[in-house]
Formats: sequence, C-alpha cells, structure tokens
Amino acid sequence: MDCVTATVPQAGTDRPDYSALIQPERVHGSLYTDPRIFAEELERIWYRTWVYVGHESEVPQPGDYVRKNIGPQDLVMTRDREGQVHLLVNRCAHRANLVCEDERGNSNSFRCPYHGWTFRNNGELLGYPYHQGYGGRGKLNLGMATVPRVESYRGFVFGSFAEDGPTLTEHLGAAAGEIDRLCRLSPEGEVELNAGWLKHRTRANWKLLAENETDGYHPQFVHGSIFSVTGSPIGALYSEKSTAVTRDLGNGHSENDLRPEFRRHGEPMRWFGTTPDRVPDYVAKMRQAYGDEAEQILVEGAPHVMIFPNLFIAEIQVFVIQPLSVDECVQHSTAVQLKGAPELNRRMISQSIGSVGPAGMLLADDTEMYERNQVGAEQLRPEWLEIRRGMHRERVDERGLRVGTATDETGMRGFWSHYKTLMEDDK
Amino acid sequence: MSDEQDRPGVVVGPSSPEVVGSEFAEVAVSVDHEGNGPRLKLEDLRTGRVRYLDALELETVVWLPDGHLRQLLDPSAHRWREDK
Repeated sequence: MDCVTATVPQAGTDRPDYSALIQPERVHGSLYTDPRIFAEELERIWYRTWVYVGHESEVPQPGDYVRKNIGPQDLVMTRDREGQVHLLVNRCAHRANLVCEDERGNSNSFRCPYHGWTFRNNGELLGYPYHQGYGGRGKLNLGMATVPRVESYRGFVFGSFAEDGPTLTEHLGAAAGEIDRLCRLSPEGEVELNAGWLKHRTRANWKLLAENETDGYHPQFVHGSIFSVTGSPIGALYSEKSTAVTRDLGNGHSENDLRPEFRRHGEPMRWFGTTPDRVPDYVAKMRQAYGDEAEQILVEGAPHVMIFPNLFIAEIQVFVIQPLSVDECVQHSTAVQLKGAPELNRRMISQSIGSVGPAGMLLADDTEMYERNQVGAEQLRPEWLEIRRGMHRERVDERGLRVGTATDETGMRGFWSHYKTLMEDDK
Repeated sequence: MSDEQDRPGVVVGPSSPEVVGSEFAEVAVSVDHEGNGPRLKLEDLRTGRVRYLDALELETVVWLPDGHLRQLLDPSAHRWREDK
C-alpha cells in the first residue's frame, strides 16, 4: 500500500525502545506526545491491524455510501448491487483528488469532479473523458484503492490495510462475545447504527481516550455532577464496594463487566435506569423472542467494552476514536439502535443526546479531562503515567482472562501489553 | 387523487418535478403530458439538457444489463469525446 506507508519515516536503528517506555507499572509520557511515535503507530497499528470502520446498517440499500476513516485515511464505505460492502480509499486514481465529498448518499458510481474519471462503487474504473489521450477506451487499469481486507462481525465492519495477518475472529477473540451481548438486547438479534453521528474534535492523544473507556476509577470524580443531577445509580457501580469487575479481554480489548452488580439486584432494565412497566412493548417482545432466557438478558444489560484500537461500546451508545495527529483526534458517537425495539430506541437517542450531545454532560466532562491530560503529559516531570492500580489483587477468571476490581487499571495494562507487542513486532 | 389515477398506465394531471440528486449529478424528474400519451421528462439541472423517455424506452432501461449501463457511464462513451 504505497499510498499509505509513503508518509511514514523508515524505521531505523534509532527507533524508540518500547520495552523501556512501557513498563508493567507505568508508561512514559512521550508515548502521548512524540510525533515520531505517532507515525509508527499509524504504520504498525492503524494501517496494519483490524480497525473498526462502520456498520452495515449505515449502507442499507445497494448504491448507498458513507464517508468513513481509518485514522487520517479518508474512506468511502459502499454497498454494491450484489449487496457486498466495500471500503474504498477516497482518492482519485488519476490526480489524487477526493472523489466523494458528501458524508452520505446513494450512487452506484462516482465521478471525480476534477477531470471526470468515473468509478464503480467497488472501486473499478469505468472510464475517463477524451479517451484518445490514453490510446482509447479501457486502456488503464487504475481503480480507486480498496482496503485489502474487509470483514464484518454482527454488522460491525472492520478493515485492515495489511494483506495478511490474524483474521477478524482471531483479533476480536473474547471481545466478540460482548458484541453478541449487545445484539441479543434486540428482539431480532440485530443492532443498527443509523441514528446519525456526532463528532467531537479533541485536542488529545487517542490513547488517553482508549485507556479511559474502561477506567472505572474516574467516574465518581469526573462524572459526579451528572450522577447527582440525574440521581443515576451508575456511580455506585464504580465504587470500591462494587462487585463489578474490570477485565482484560486480550488483544488490547477490555471491559467493565457490570453484570455482577446487576445480578445482585436482579431487576430487569435496571441497567437502563428504568423498569419494565416503563417500556412494556420492548419487554414483551424480548420475552416472546427469548423465552426463559429473556429475564437474564434484561437483568444483565449491555456491555461496556473497548475494542482495540478504536471501537467503544458504552451500553447505549457507540464511540469511534479517530486519531489525526499525536495530540488531536475526533470522537464519533451515536446512539445504539436495537432492531425491533422502537420504544427503547427513542429513549436511547434521548439519553445519548443528554450524555454526548452538544450540551451533553458526560462526554464533555471526559473531553475536558483528555485535553487537560494532554497538556499535563507534555510537561517534563515526572515523565511517567501510572498504570499499577490493583496489580496486587488481580486474578485470572475461569476463561483465563485477567480480572481486577471495578476501579482497577487492569484494562489499561492489557491495552499497553498488546500495544507493546504491535510496536515491537519486526514483521 | 381520482379513481382514474389508480388505473395502470394512466397518469392524470400535471406532475411537479422531483429532483434525483447526488454530489455527482442533479436531475429533475417529472411525467410530461403534452403528447398523446405520458412520457418521463428528465432534465439535467447542471446543463438544462432535457431527455424524454416513453414507456417502451423506460422498460428497455429496466431490462438493460448492468454491463451495458456501466459502458454508458464511461465519460468518453458519448458526452466527452474528442470527435464531438
């Protein structure tokens, strides 16, 4: 993929020593501030591993397309006439102009506005104006570039710029089960992400966000105001007395597993801050669809899982992290929509607006911390950021996964362990 | 809506144009009744060029193989040619 790697400096013998920078109990501040490290991350993580791109429900009809991204790479996710989903690099094969400008639309073919080169929505070149300049029609084999590997899991579409490597199933590992848990909250077993996206430009390194998503230590401080205003029981889930756990799911993925707390209470819909009588149609459809199993599903609720490197499923909403530079990223967020559950979906949108909308009270608080954190990390001393909380009380569960308490930094340690593997990989 | 309008092949009254548009093209679509029978009026809003399609031509488009349609989408197939 010359178009991708050409901007990344060749790694020489002076590469950062990641084993020195990433230690079991701490990580070095330069990991968040060094542009050279960011360039290596693009090469070794964003342009190599599986990265979440979009959801099949965003292109429901043949000809539908949406603008998406992998880090700074501008992509077009399309659905062709046969129903197959493609990821195209949004760059004309002629003179590198952006081919698609709209955020979304329906077109089976794309015509570059610069010189009129026209492509099918699978990237194939259909033709160019005034063909004699190229010796006739059909003389060039120059399509739009495609992301070499595209796979989806339960409608979640991932792309990898590497021709070879672990399969998506191998990459997701135990995290796939958390996507399953989200899908089973739909009476039809399917999630849709078609409520529209909010974008928050954030002056912080992307890893501060990824680490924070399953940091159960901060909610009581950073989100104290929204918990007190709304009377939400969520804060207690992240207290020292909570039976919830933080789990390292492997491959950099992690979760706050809140199920132990919800099982302790045994109240259906508590996870959503409501009761069955407030959403009777949804509960009835779930009981009809899942029978005896419905009770457990309605008690245990939705996952809170960070899928490396950029997909965060936060119970009722989904976040996608897009790094732009070493100290800037975009948080894309949308409300989860459960197929066949209009009653719950309306509430999911309302709650999402309240938490991550322009005047929302949750994401704004987190973002304030990210941006303060970035400025702090740029200060010279004491150089290190701590990730040791709860190391002494970690255990391994029945699946062989590392587990800490609700407020432990087990998720961060899993993130950095995987990160180090990718950054040191010589392949 | 009259009862007559529900009959197959019969369209009554003026049809206000709708626009089928994208970032790549903008075409106004309406049914024209100036002739002895209805026909589809397509207007390329970027150039003002108009094309009428009768029922048989429309049916032909419906049955056009995808490969033929792709050939027509080649910019140098008709519109942008050195010999024009």
